[in-house]
Amino acid sequence: MSEKPTTDDTEAGASTEAGRTPAEPDFLKVSDLHAGYGQARVLQGLDFTVARGEVCAVLGPNGAGKTTTLRALCGMVRGRGSVTLNGTELLGRSPEQAARLGVAHVPEGRGTFNDLTVEENLRIGAHLHTGHWRRGRAQRAAVAADLERIYGYFPKLRDRSRQAAGSLSGGEQQMLAIGRALMLRPSLLLLDEPSLGLAPLVTRELFEIVRAVNEEERTTVVVVEQNAQLALDVAHRAHVLEAGRLVLSGPAAQIREDGQVAEVYLGVSVRAGTGG
Amino acid sequence: MSMNVATLGTDRARRLRAALTALLAVAAVVGAPFYFAPFQVFQLTMVLLYAVALAGLNLLVGFGGQISLGHGAFFAAGAYTAAVMLDRYDTGHLATLPVAAAGCFLLGLGFGVPALRLRGLYLALVTLSFAVFLPPLLKRLEPVTGGSMGLTVDKLQPPAWSGLAEDQWMYFVVLAVATVALLLARNLLRSRVGRALLAVRDNESAAEVMGVRLSLHKTLAFAWSAMFAGVAGCVYTWVIGFVSPDSFSFVLSITLLAGLVVGGLASLYGPLLGAAFVMYVPSVAQDISEAAPGVVFGLLIIAVMFVAPTGLAGLAGRVRGVITPLLTRTKPSAAVRTPESEPPSAPPAPAETAPADAEPVGAPPRTEKE
Repeated sequence: MSEKPTTDDTEAGASTEAGRTPAEPDFLKVSDLHAGYGQARVLQGLDFTVARGEVCAVLGPNGAGKTTTLRALCGMVRGRGSVTLNGTELLGRSPEQAARLGVAHVPEGRGTFNDLTVEENLRIGAHLHTGHWRRGRAQRAAVAADLERIYGYFPKLRDRSRQAAGSLSGGEQQMLAIGRALMLRPSLLLLDEPSLGLAPLVTRELFEIVRAVNEEERTTVVVVEQNAQLALDVAHRAHVLEAGRLVLSGPAAQIREDGQVAEVYLGVSVRAGTGG
Repeated sequence: MSMNVATLGTDRARRLRAALTALLAVAAVVGAPFYFAPFQVFQLTMVLLYAVALAGLNLLVGFGGQISLGHGAFFAAGAYTAAVMLDRYDTGHLATLPVAAAGCFLLGLGFGVPALRLRGLYLALVTLSFAVFLPPLLKRLEPVTGGSMGLTVDKLQPPAWSGLAEDQWMYFVVLAVATVALLLARNLLRSRVGRALLAVRDNESAAEVMGVRLSLHKTLAFAWSAMFAGVAGCVYTWVIGFVSPDSFSFVLSITLLAGLVVGGLASLYGPLLGAAFVMYVPSVAQDISEAAPGVVFGLLIIAVMFVAPTGLAGLAGRVRGVITPLLTRTKPSAAVRTPESEPPSAPPAPAETAPADAEPVGAPPRTEKE
């Protein structure tokens, strides 16, 4: 247990081991976050930070509070404590206000608008960037450029742009959900279980795209995932939750290699992945 | 029939066919008042008028995913606005339209507030209470509304230059109003606001995390919807020339909702079909059974919903879905025979299959081009 990286000593470890010093280590700062549903208290005081431009994985068993963490960040669930994004308090805001501050949430189960076409879905992602009377033309051009950018990441969506979202496969719907969130031009992208119900190959493709988005646009990403191995491949840092508490934090590589710790908290999948 | 199908696939033929259909439709719509007897023209006018109200209700129920059992109240508000303006202030007919529209828009905005907290059956109940409570209120406000006697006002009169009879002139005026209203509804749905509305209907929380302000768009849906109902009510006063509380009982609200569901929710043509159903079927029911027309009307609604669960507007798509496979199976033989009587535009060689464009009729509008 003693070699387990704790929250404290990884602050130093992250900057050296990840090979780059994060410019703004406190871009997203979660302190003493409590949240729950009615009587059920799910999160019991979380503390962690995500640096700007980082991909951060939140891992843990079922019911650990991973999804609740994301929901608290985007305002879907009311939380206590403090969550600041670039210094602005996020708690106490509605999801719509959080979206205005640049938080784009891809909900569990995708939440695509199934009766709308793929392109209409994407345009709803641009909802906040349109509708100002005076800058109509510039806005339309910007949204068109955004659409191109998304189609660049997800060429399959371009092929199906006029098709109803409900007719897409699960993987394509997940791509659409992520693309829609990117239309928001987010500074913080929250991904809730992108692998849910998808074939391993599709999931891998999705994570590669997430990596590409992160590298090209320096979008900060917080991803909640059951498939720890895959998430750790893409993430720079990882936090492991259990029963609403943070039990482990550190650079993703370190967590991936620490076979014993991984086995305790994440199941055997990681160990198998590292060949141990 | 099979030869028709062989030429369907080609683009030019399809465009030609669409243009021809549109031309025929316009000719039929414009020619109708000269062909039919005055009473029939009046009935057509009423169909158009109800179509406006149903198009409004469609925005709320079909595209907004909310429910209102109180739209008769907005209809009545529009009708009384026009009647009171004509009766007391002797304004022209045209002046009543913007006032009724704006008034009902604001009214809808106010009544949309409960929709923020309630949904489904609870919202239905609250909206039903508007409809139940309005007629007695109109009776009480006798100095303004004429009480239970109602108000009689001038009908719309044709100007001398038109050379039209009263019923014909009314038909054209209502046709113009309905055309503008239906186009407005269509464009609204293809706009940013419409997309937000559809998103809220499909998945409220997903829409919200995309930055769509739920409260704003839900109340706006009520407001737009009420505005359409108010415009229909206003035009009703122009056409009928008489309003009384009993014309706007809560049965009207329920009839409007039934008409919309029968016509086809979330379909652009549904309101027109529903309006025709609401207008003609009760009189058909009367013919079938003098004693209990209500029973026949009810049974007919059940029959329609059984045959066409997505409404009359969806029926065409369903029929096409059944027939197209049958036709495509007979197609190879049809393509070999060169079409003689068809438009010369169709090269028979690349007769690709048509069903690519067989979108579901009830589906919301496709993407706009910007």
